[in-house]
Parts: sequence; structure tokens; C-alpha cells
Amino acid sequence: MIRLAFIQFMRAGGTRIGLVFLLVVGIISLFVGKQFDQRQQQAVADVVQFQQTDFPRQAAIHHDDLGLLLYYLKFSVVNQTRPLTALAIGQRDVNASIQSVTIRALEGQQYDADLTNPANLLLGNVDFSFVLIYLFPLLIIAFTYSIISAEKENGTWSIVAVQSRHLLRFVGGLFLIRLGVLLAVLGIIIGLAVPVLGIPMDSTFWLFLGTSAGYILFWFSVCFWVVSLKRSSSTNAMLLLGIWLVLLIVLPTGVNNYITARYPVPEAQATTLAQRKGYHEKWDTDKTATVEKFYAHYPQFRQVPTVAMPFDWRWYYAMQQLGDDESAEQSGELRQKLQQRETASRTIAQFIPTLHTQLQLGELARSGLGNQLRFLEYTARFHEKLRLYFYPKIFTNAPALAEKWTAFKVDTFADEAPIHPGSVWGPLVLFSTLFASLGWFRFRQTIYHL
Amino acid sequence: MLQTQQLIAGQVWSTAFKNRAVFGLLIGIGLLLAYAAVTGWVSLQQQNETGRKYQQQARQDWLSNPDKHPHRMAHYGHFAFRPKAPLSVFDFGMESFLGNTIYLEAHKQNSVNFSEAGFSTGLLRFGEISMAMVLQLLLPLMLFFLGFGTVATDRETGTLKLLLSQGVSWGQLLVGKSLGLMAVMLSLYGPVMVVTGLLWFGLQGGRVSADQTIRLLLLMGAYFLYLAFFCVIAVLVSARSKTAKTALVSLIGLWLMLTLVLPRASQALGSYLYPAPSKARFLADIQADVLKEGDSHNPNDPHYKGLKDSLLTAYGVDSVGQLPFNYSGFVMAEGEKISAHLYNDHFGRLLSIYDRQNRFAKAMAFVDPYLAIRNLSMALSGTDFASYVDFQRQAEQYRYEMAQKMNDLQIHFISNKKLGPTDKPYQIDRKHWEEVPDFSYQSPGVESVFGHEAISLLAFVFWAGLLWFVMVRFTKTLTAL
Repeated sequence: MIRLAFIQFMRAGGTRIGLVFLLVVGIISLFVGKQFDQRQQQAVADVVQFQQTDFPRQAAIHHDDLGLLLYYLKFSVVNQTRPLTALAIGQRDVNASIQSVTIRALEGQQYDADLTNPANLLLGNVDFSFVLIYLFPLLIIAFTYSIISAEKENGTWSIVAVQSRHLLRFVGGLFLIRLGVLLAVLGIIIGLAVPVLGIPMDSTFWLFLGTSAGYILFWFSVCFWVVSLKRSSSTNAMLLLGIWLVLLIVLPTGVNNYITARYPVPEAQATTLAQRKGYHEKWDTDKTATVEKFYAHYPQFRQVPTVAMPFDWRWYYAMQQLGDDESAEQSGELRQKLQQRETASRTIAQFIPTLHTQLQLGELARSGLGNQLRFLEYTARFHEKLRLYFYPKIFTNAPALAEKWTAFKVDTFADEAPIHPGSVWGPLVLFSTLFASLGWFRFRQTIYHL
Repeated sequence: MLQTQQLIAGQVWSTAFKNRAVFGLLIGIGLLLAYAAVTGWVSLQQQNETGRKYQQQARQDWLSNPDKHPHRMAHYGHFAFRPKAPLSVFDFGMESFLGNTIYLEAHKQNSVNFSEAGFSTGLLRFGEISMAMVLQLLLPLMLFFLGFGTVATDRETGTLKLLLSQGVSWGQLLVGKSLGLMAVMLSLYGPVMVVTGLLWFGLQGGRVSADQTIRLLLLMGAYFLYLAFFCVIAVLVSARSKTAKTALVSLIGLWLMLTLVLPRASQALGSYLYPAPSKARFLADIQADVLKEGDSHNPNDPHYKGLKDSLLTAYGVDSVGQLPFNYSGFVMAEGEKISAHLYNDHFGRLLSIYDRQNRFAKAMAFVDPYLAIRNLSMALSGTDFASYVDFQRQAEQYRYEMAQKMNDLQIHFISNKKLGPTDKPYQIDRKHWEEVPDFSYQSPGVESVFGHEAISLLAFVFWAGLLWFVMVRFTKTLTAL
């Protein structure tokens, strides 16, 4: 009987059109991801090439003045794009994946926006996460909303009910067929993604796949519950579409507005203003006071003997350092605000499976705000390392050509923040179980009511 | 004759409001609209207040600089904050994806930083709720829900045959049903426009300009037309469908295509066909061009050598130290001119790539009225890309003038003699800082919208004509069965 039901399901005209549509858009999404990946790689190649040609060129021009040379040199760090990122692009097209910084004050540099077409950002990517989050549920709804009601409306339900010994098992079977088919579509798309995007089948990959499957399971459980209410086909359709609308349009946009308004970030502007003032004012204040403050920050450089330089670079970089030091408070507040936003949206998302899935896929693909914040932190550490390496050389006026400039490679940040499967899957499993059991209890009570 | 249409319209109205679920829907949408209005208002106030505050602070910082060398001031620089337009309370448009702060300094064109998107957790990817979004996205869907049965249900129950046999024509029927649906639509649309008008009025502190008024009126007209299209589409699809259920499925499919799939697909196609350069490449290309022309900080470049020689000849002196004005200021001014010109060239090219990318989505307005209203609404609200580019241009113009003003001061007030190692550095009086006016953004007039959004406006005319044409055709081809 289940075999027949499968054949019947697949024979329906709408089924095949829907499946083909989903597969085609799914495959297109892989190419969108591939293109994103290639653009990222191109950007990295561009910056690597620039650094390789620019460093020796600048070194040749400013070979007698290391302090001036380092005024110009931009060292780049790349936020590693993993193959998986192409499946869930998340915030990666908004935030620059490459940071290029000089050893001057950091605060003015690290928020430099990437070049992007805002119209592309506004409409969003047709990446895999879009297909999964928006389109899969629609097909699940279309395939299941009339499972019982259509039989009733055609007058065949009583025959089915009489002929089946385990009616609930039969209805469950119908759902499982559809679940199986859609999981197979998911399997095909991800199966193609692995070779096309070169995704390694590591634990992150399985977590990603599991989250996607869990999301599909969640929608099936919702449909199962709605069908168990035993309303008419059109009521079911309206109800399910209403749920879709609330979970994918109304709630997410509403939560986003709330978070934006609840945690505004004027600290961003405050930081840059403070940084500019902190540095520029020192041109007009007492030199020794500036250098003293610098020594208070880095006592180790007090020991470095003073030598003659083309320009008083010790003082100059002390001024730059004070730009950062004097905006540290605002900058810390900004980071704290962003962390609050991240925490708030994660907490809220635990109760809204669509949001949760989007955020978790982003986290797994390293394309969320969390990744961006960790990248900024890494950039700050990278910047500090450069400063500590170059300051003593500048202060002793070391010859610029003694340095092997081609050895300064573009650095890469690999995000290794741990991810716990429990926090990824927990809410999905919980909500799926909830709706599936609600449906099951409802069915047990009413299934034989014709 | 008009009476028949009124009767039919009245029947659509009363059926709609007989349904309790419809009231729930209307209340739900009403609440959403209120929420959108409140959050729109809050974020607009927040951003404008922050902008105003820091614009003032930046100005004060600028003015409170002591006497110094003008080139130091050129590097001290200034900030430009992008204010939100009053109508952005209605349509957020691209607002969240556009930066709102730019640091302006000599020799360097910085990017506009701090977009809301850069600080977003990824939820932004689901979009934002604004009054415009409700009108563009949710109201059409509601109209489809209300309208899918308008004709198809009559057909299923057999009343359609009765109506037609009593002498009601197809034309009267379609027009009547459409008008009825429009009346239901107005019950939501009307209040939204009143609220928008009030917010808009409040935001301008009562000082309403003609320009803003035209924008608001156009916006109202465009949304009315847009929603009217959906009423007619619902009735036409319903008239074509055998059963109400098929009508509903077709309309929902249509809605998904128009609002979710087509916009993203056309934008994706555009950016696939016209790839834009990476930031590293863009900057490297500019640097390469600047190097070709010469860097004003290196006076031995060929361009500057030629400049020097011609100056020496013109003034009949044999070293730049003998010139009657500050030579390095002169070189700096020349360098600023060259580098600004090169940057604007490259930036213009980048913008034209973006334009080509967006062209698909713009042209799609002829297929998808959602894209027509979306682009037009953003443009009228001042939250589209063109408004942003306009801000960038004004900020760059200001930056250029500020830098050149400082170079000018250097040329005229700084001595041309080289300082000895123990001399006090040259400086000029701080009163000169006031000679640079503060940056204040002038929003472009509404006429610029007609230029940018000609396609969207044409698409509206096209859609009105198309629906009219289809309706006329249907009156001849439709049957009661």
C-alpha cells in the first residue's frame, strides 16, 4: 500500500514540477555559491599580488627611512573562506573578508567598508541557505496540506479508513514518503555541492547537513500537526501559509527591527572621532608628555636607545598609539554592544526555528557576526604583533633593506571557535518533537472520526 | 448602468467583512504597520540624532584647533554624516546597507563606513519590516487571499450563470469585483497613508517643502496604483480559474515568483554578468594611475619636474625658494587635483558597473510590478542607491574643497624659505579654520527621481495598459462554465 502511495504521490503533476523547480533552484544556488567563492579567491589573489609588488617597490623608494616606509605599508589579513561558506553566505558579502592595516592607529582602519553594490546586498543571495530556509518549507506545505482533506473532499477517505488496519500508521507512511523524497532532494543538492565546491566531509559538514535535515523535519512536524486538526484543504493551506509567513517574514523582520532599535551603535562614530582627536591633538601638545604616555603603555621601549632619525618617529608612532589608547573606551563599548546584539538574537532565535537555522548555518559556515567579531579581534592581535616587531627597528633606525619584505605574506585567520552540536540541534529537535507529538495525540483521538 | 457595478462591488465588500478571519488579518496587518511605524521612527531619530551630535562635535573639534600649519589641518580632516530623509520612516530601502559616516582628509578618499548591515547578526538577511514592506509584500498577498474566490466561487456555486443570464455583462462583473476589492484595500491603505503623512509632517517640524510634498503625493499615487493592480490581477485570475482552489494556488505561486524569486534571480544574474573588481584591485588600479602621474610628495616625478621648470621660467628665478609663494603648497594642490580626478574616474567606472548589474532588476519591472514599486518607492523616499551616491559625491566635493582651501592657505601664508633645524615651525592663525564652512548635505530635488526611475514609471503605465487590455480581452473570451 505504501509503495502504491509513493507511486501515486510521484505521479501527481504538481509533485514533479515542484521537485524539478526545487532541484533547479538548488543547483543554481550552488553556482551562486561557487561564484561567491571565486570572487573571494580573486580578492585574496589581488591582495596577495598587491602586497608582493607594493612592498619591494615602497622599500626601494623609502630605503633610508624605515619609519616613513611603515607609514605606507599595508599588511593584509584574510578571513578564511571555507568551501562551506559558499552554501551559507550570510554576512560575508556585507563585511570585508580582507583587512589591510598599516601599523598606525588601528581604530580608524578596521571598520573600512568593502566595495559592494548595495542593491545586491538588499535583495540577498540565492544561496543554498535561502533555498533551504524559504523554498523547502513551501514544497513541504504543498505536498502535505491536503493529505487527508483531499481524500475527504473527494469522498474516498471512508474507503481508505475502512481498508486500513492501522490508519495512523498509514497516514504516517504518507508523511514519511514525502519526507524521504525531500530529504533525497536535500541529499542530491548537498551531494553535488561536495564535489562542486570541494567541501571536506568533516564534522562541521555533518553538523551542517544535520541542521538542514533537522529544519526539514521541523516543517514536516508542523504540517503533520496542522493536518491532524482535520480541517478542509483550503483552511490547511491558509493556516500553513500563514505560519510560513509569520516564521519567515513577520517574526524575523520584526526581531531584526527590535534588535536594531534596542541596541543602537553610536559608539561606532564616537570611536572614530575619539581616535582622530587622540592622535591629531598630540601635534600641538607637549612632545615629552606624549612619549611618556607611550612608555607607560610599552615600558620595554624605554630601554631602546635614542638614535638620530630623519623624523622623530618615536614621537609620531606614540601619537598614533595614543589615538588608539584614547579611543579604547568607546571601542570597547562598541564591541560590547555588538556582542549584546549577537547574544540577544541567538537567545531569541532559540524560540524561532527559522531564525535559529539561519544563524546556525551562518555560524557553521563561518559567515555570521560571531565570525566577524572574532576576525576583528584577530586583526587587532595581528596589528599589535606588527607594532611590537617594527617599533624597536624604527626607533633604532634599522636599515629598511635589511628586512626581507617579500617574506611578509598575507596572513590568514582560520576561525576555530568551538561549536556544540547540542546548541545547534537542540531547538530543532525540541520543536520537531513538540509538533509531531501534538499531531500524534490529536490523530489518536480523532483519526477514526469520519 | 453604474449601479450594477456598485452592487457587485458592495457584495465583495460585505463578503470580505463577513469573514471573521479577515478581521483578524486586518488587525494583524494593522499591528504590523504600527510596529513598522514605531521602529522606523525610532531608528530614524536615533541615526539623525547621532549624526547631528557627532557632526557638531566634529565641527567643534575642527574649530578648536590652535594655530598651526594648514597642511596639518588638511590631515586633521572632517567627518560627514549622512542624514536620513524624512520619508525613510516609511520606506527603509537600502538604508541599512549604506554606510553613514565618512572621514574626509587630504589626499585620501575613504569609504563610507558603519552601515547597519555591518553590525547585523544575519537576521537582516530576512529583511526589515517597514510600512513600505507591508504595502509591497503583505498587502498584495492579503488581496490575493481576499480575491481568489471573487469570480471562481460564483462559478463553482452556479451563481455566475444566474448573474450573466440576468443581463450582467462580463465587463460589469470584472469591473465591479475589482472595485469591491479596491474598496477593501483602501480600508487599510487609507489609514497607512494618513499615518505616514502625520509622521512625515512631524519629522519635518512643520516646515514642509514643496519637494517633500510632491514626493509624498507621488508615493501615495504609486502605491494606490500598485495595490489596484493586485486587485485586478486577483479578479482576473479568479475569473480564469475553474475552481476557487486553483485560483488560490495560482495566485500564491504568482506572489512567490513576483516577490521572492524574480527579484533575487534578476539581481543575481546582473552581478554574475558584470563582475565588479575587488577592493584591493580597485585601489591598486588607482595607485598605479597615480604613480604614472606622479605623487605630490615626491617632487622628482616627471610631471612635477615639468611644472617646476615652467614656474621657474615664468617667474624668472632659478630655485623654488625664490618664488613669491609657497611652492610645496602649490605642488600639493596640483597633486590633490590629479589624484581626485583619477579617483573620481575610477569610482565613476565602478558605479557604472553597479548600474549595469542593477539594470536587470530595473528592467524586470515590466515583468514584475513589485520591482517597479520597490525601486520607485526607494527613490521617492530618498533611500535608494542614487541618493547614496549623491551623498558620496557631495562629501567628496567637500573633501576636495577643504583640502584645496588648506593648500591655498599654505600657498599664501606660509613662507617659502626652508626652516632650519632649530626654527619654530611655520603656522597660521586659527581664525582661518572658520573659513571652511561645515559640511551640510543637500538632498537632491524630486526631479532627479524622474531621471533615475524613468523605467519604473514607464512600467507603471505599461502595467495599467496591460491589465486593461487583458480585462477587455477576457470580457470577450470568458465563459460561465
